[in-house]
Amino acid sequence: MLTTLSPQLREATQSFIDNLLASEAFMHYQEARKLMSEDEEAHTLMERLNNAQATVRQQQSTGGVGQAEVDSLRLIQQRALRNPVILDYAQARQEAVEFLREINGEISQLLGIDFASFANHATC
Amino acid sequence: MDNKAINDIEAASPSVVKQAARNFASTLAETPEFKSFEQVAERFRQDQAAQQAMEAYKEKQMTWRALMILNALSPEQRTELEILKSAFVNQPVVEEYFKARTELAALCQTLGDALSESIGLNYAAACGVSCCG
Repeated sequence: MLTTLSPQLREATQSFIDNLLASEAFMHYQEARKLMSEDEEAHTLMERLNNAQATVRQQQSTGGVGQAEVDSLRLIQQRALRNPVILDYAQARQEAVEFLREINGEISQLLGIDFASFANHATC
Repeated sequence: MDNKAINDIEAASPSVVKQAARNFASTLAETPEFKSFEQVAERFRQDQAAQQAMEAYKEKQMTWRALMILNALSPEQRTELEILKSAFVNQPVVEEYFKARTELAALCQTLGDALSESIGLNYAAACGVSCCG
């Protein structure tokens, strides 16, 4: 990915990534991701949660949400919220996102443009 | 991983990460893509004809916003809007501005993709940017 960049920009980007990954927020996030991927129960619950959400969203778009599907989604949500691995992952992700926004603010202030907006692949 | 375990590995402090971010931004600011964008953006700001054409187009868009959302513009209104849009985007400095912006965006997207891949989060989405910017 970085091969098309100048050596200076490649180096600065890599250093930025290395420091970001070494921050407390991202260390916690990476560890929580790892635990999540290794924990079969958490992994299965998240899969079921995503599937249930997709089903309800699909029904919403066609104007007919079934009560059974909503009940099922709520049940899986409750189970997910009681799972310590999922809870830790959710908290770690939120902390990483907040830190990343702070960092993006720092970059954007220096550049005078919102870096994240320019980095976005517009699809609509 | 608990906080003690993280501290044992000596996490980079926020100030160190911010310094690395500023170095990254400074290096990006030195690229031809960024410099070119900055220069043309300034010319665009100083170009009265381009600014007036933009204002006329934006004003009409605002006036007819509700109709546009409802896809209820009349053919005459559509034509008028298209004429104003053409008058704006065909200004030489505006064409240059969009070209420079696209080139800078391509570079930023490459950087954003590298960041996203490494950190396990979509950089733009995490920073609250939707598909429409």
